[in-house]
Parts: sequence; C-alpha cells; structure tokens
Amino acid sequence: MSATIFVHEFRARLKSVIIWSASLTALVIFLFSIYPSFSEEAALIQQMMSRFPPALLEAFGMNKLDLSSLLGFFGFLFVFVQLCLAIQAGNYGFGLVSIEESELTADFLLSKPVSRTQALASKLLAALSSLLLTELVIWADTYITIGLFGGGREYSASTLILILVSMTILQLFFLSVGLVISLLVRRVRNVTPYSLGLGFGTYVLAAFSGILGEAKLEYITPFKHLDPSYIIKNGAYDTPLALINGAVTLIALGVSYWRYIRRDIPAVS
Amino acid sequence: MNIFLRELKANLKSLLIWCGVILLMVLVGAAKFSAYYNDASMLAILDSFPDAILDAMSIRAFNLTTLSGFFGLMFIYFALMGGIAAAMWGSDSISKEERDKTVEFSLALPVSRSRVVTAKMLAALVNSIVFVLVTWGGSLAAARPYNPDQAFYNYLRLEMTAMFMIELIFLALGLLLGCAMKRYKLSGSTAVWIILTTYFLSVAASLQKDLDFLKYFSPFKYFDAAELFREMKLDATYLLISAGIIFVCVAAAYWTYNRRDLYI
Repeated sequence: MSATIFVHEFRARLKSVIIWSASLTALVIFLFSIYPSFSEEAALIQQMMSRFPPALLEAFGMNKLDLSSLLGFFGFLFVFVQLCLAIQAGNYGFGLVSIEESELTADFLLSKPVSRTQALASKLLAALSSLLLTELVIWADTYITIGLFGGGREYSASTLILILVSMTILQLFFLSVGLVISLLVRRVRNVTPYSLGLGFGTYVLAAFSGILGEAKLEYITPFKHLDPSYIIKNGAYDTPLALINGAVTLIALGVSYWRYIRRDIPAVS
Repeated sequence: MNIFLRELKANLKSLLIWCGVILLMVLVGAAKFSAYYNDASMLAILDSFPDAILDAMSIRAFNLTTLSGFFGLMFIYFALMGGIAAAMWGSDSISKEERDKTVEFSLALPVSRSRVVTAKMLAALVNSIVFVLVTWGGSLAAARPYNPDQAFYNYLRLEMTAMFMIELIFLALGLLLGCAMKRYKLSGSTAVWIILTTYFLSVAASLQKDLDFLKYFSPFKYFDAAELFREMKLDATYLLISAGIIFVCVAAAYWTYNRRDLYI
C-alpha cells in the first residue's frame, strides 16, 4: 500500500466521482418525485390486478413489485441506479491498469520503488474509496428523497438498508470483473465500450429473464444476484446467488493479481 | 474510398461482436417464447377481458401468446442496442484517431477534412445497416417455426425501420460528439450519458401522464412499440423531429471538425 499512489489515483477520479454522484442524485430525486402522484393510480391498478389470475400477471411481469408501495417503487427505480453504478464501477475496473498502458505511463509507475502488488493494491483501494464515496452520496440522497416525497408512508427500514448495501457488492463485482477482463485481453484501447458492454449486456439479460419468467440466466447476471424485487419480497438476499456473486468477485481479484504480477508491459519506445 | 474501406475493416470486429450479441438475444428470447406461444389458458383469460381494458393497459400490444406481442416486448432492447452501437461507431471512428495518435497522418493525406468525416460516417452507416439487417434476419428465422402471417411481417418491418431511425439519430449524435469535443476521451462516455438519460426519460414519460412532454426529448419514445402496434405506421411528427436532429447533428459535425484544433 503506497499512500502516494492512493492519493494520486483518488484525486484523478474525484471529478468523475462528483459527476456520477450528482447525476445519480438527480436521477433518484427525479424518478422518485413521480411517486406521490403515481402511488394513487398504482393503488387502483394494483387493486384491479389482484383480481387477475397469477399466471397472467406472471406472464406480463406484473407480479414482481407492488409499485404503489414506497419500497416497491424505490425498487423499481433502483434498477436504473444499479445500471449506472455498474457502468461506473466497470469504467474504473477496466481503466484501473489499462489506462497506464494506453497513456504510456506504465513504465513510469513501475520504475517506482513499490512492488506491483503494492501498486495494484493502492490503485484498487483508491478506486474502491471512490465508489464508496459515490454510494455514500446515494445513501444520503435516498433518505432525503424518501423524507421529501415518501409522504410519511411506512416501509421496512432494514429492507431499505439491505438494498442500499447491495450497491457495494454490485460495484465490487463490476470493478473486479472489469479489472480481470482488462488484464486478460491484450490491450484495452478505450474503456467505455467495454464497461458499457458488460454493464448493459448483463442488465439486458436480467431484464430479459424477468420478462420471460424463470430462466437460467439468473446465474450469469449480477443484476439478478442482487435483484431489488427479490430483496423487497423476501427481506433478504437470495443467498446462493449472492454467494455466486461474491465468489466471482474474489476469483476475479485473485486472477487479476496473478496476471498483473506477470504481465509484460510495453515501454515507451 | 480508401478511408472508407480502411474504416470498415477497422470496425468489422466490433460489428461482428454486436451482431453476435443481438442474435444470441433473439435466440434466447425465442426459446423462452415457445413456452408462451398459443398457451390456451392465457388466451382464455385474455378473451374474458373487455377490449377497452386490454387497450388501456397495452396488453394486446405485448401479448406474449402472439409473435407480434413477443417482438413488441423485444423492441426496446433492439432500440437500446442499436442506439448504443451506432453512437459508439459514430464517436469512436472520429476520436480514435486522436487517441491512437494517427490524426496527423490521416489529415496529412490529400483529402479535405470533410471527406474524411464523410468516409467515416458512411462506414459507420454501413455498419448500422448491416446491424439492422442481421437483427431482421435473425428475427425472421426465429419467427419461422410459428408460421407468421402477413400482419406480423408488416409489424416487424415497422419495428426494424424504427430501430434504424434510432440508430441514425444516435449515429449522428455520436459523430457530432466525436467531432466537437475537445477532449477526445470524453466523447464516448458523453454519448453513453445521453443515451442513458434519454432512456430514463422515456421510462419516466410512460410512468406519469404529467411528464408526457418528456417524450419529445427521448428518441426511444418517438418509436414506441405499443404505439407502433396500434397505428401500424410511423408517426410523421416524430419522423420529422428525427430528421431534424440528424440533419443538425451532421451539419454541426462537419462545421466543427473543419474548424477544430486537433490534439496531437
């Protein structure tokens, strides 16, 4: 762990963190501000739908969330927050070491008196702190927004905390998977297409398996590992899926270290 | 011409990956769809509802027991993927020259900057066309086992035209960002931001009637699957807006690129 690298990395990302936090804050406030007027309509629809047979609701994906309840609506908009968080974490993960190579600063970094393990650890910690900072802003934002627009409705505080904690798990997943992919391919030229492909690809898979009922897609998409509608329904994580998520994160981190220590890094010619 | 061919070749890998992904999506979707197709119990339930309710809730447009309903559900994913792919092709083809430090070389060639932009734009356009055609072909192949009728073919054609329009809008936008942004690194991520924002706007617009005006800001709302299904044609107003956006973006792209100071 090298404090210099940590501070440098953290500073380099600060602007991006501010932009992400501000946009996500705006997103949460904007979408949740619809809730007060929506909840009345939704309550009517919900009433009507309760007369429908469950098979029909399932086919149209309407059995997942009760949008008239506060947490139900929050879970609905939280999926979009998750998508953004995934892309942010993917950006940091894919760029963590590959940017040094594409900007030709890798040999400068590695000529410093720190081991590669140390350099990678400092970089990872810096990226992680940046992500945590973003999440912290969303935590605060969520409570303020619910206070403003929730209309004093009851909701389960512990479930909300579970949902908010799932942000960290999700971002860790995308950070480490992004990192390991960037170390497995020969060269990452541009970070965005990669993180976007990973984030959006898995998001679409999750949305897809949602529409089409039970599917085996759940195992491969992290959005299903930490599906807010499951958390709201059961007040707990889907343990096997969450464990898969954690295991993939750990394996990805391990492989990243292993690859990075042995990586052949092109020098400036 | 040389730049055009060079550009096509450079984009080939990305095109193949995108086509592979969308074919996989159609394939997985079709496999799941087979479980719902003509499901008797669901059809009976649908029949028992009055038409007014079915229309109000757009249930008929997304009726999973029919092919058209299934492709209606798929449309937003087609649109999102088409939009992202086209925006990436548009912005990356311009900004990668600066990133890879090849911009001096390509602009030292005996062609004007406008011709460079034209060649790159056409290459990205060809990619977008191929992408739509592959999606169309994949969908037709997936629908074949269910003996689709003429109405389905018409609807699919409409969807594919809409997807192509969305691609054109985001391609023009990506091109503009690639040409106009001083910091080449940001053009791709800005394009992504715009796509995500417009997508969220379209979600918000469909949630709340008061926010309906937002639909003018989101290309995903210009071509809405349920609306397409009801009207069976593209809305002229939105087509005009789309054409306007595309024209302005492309014109601005040429204008800025001819004047810009390049990062070397």
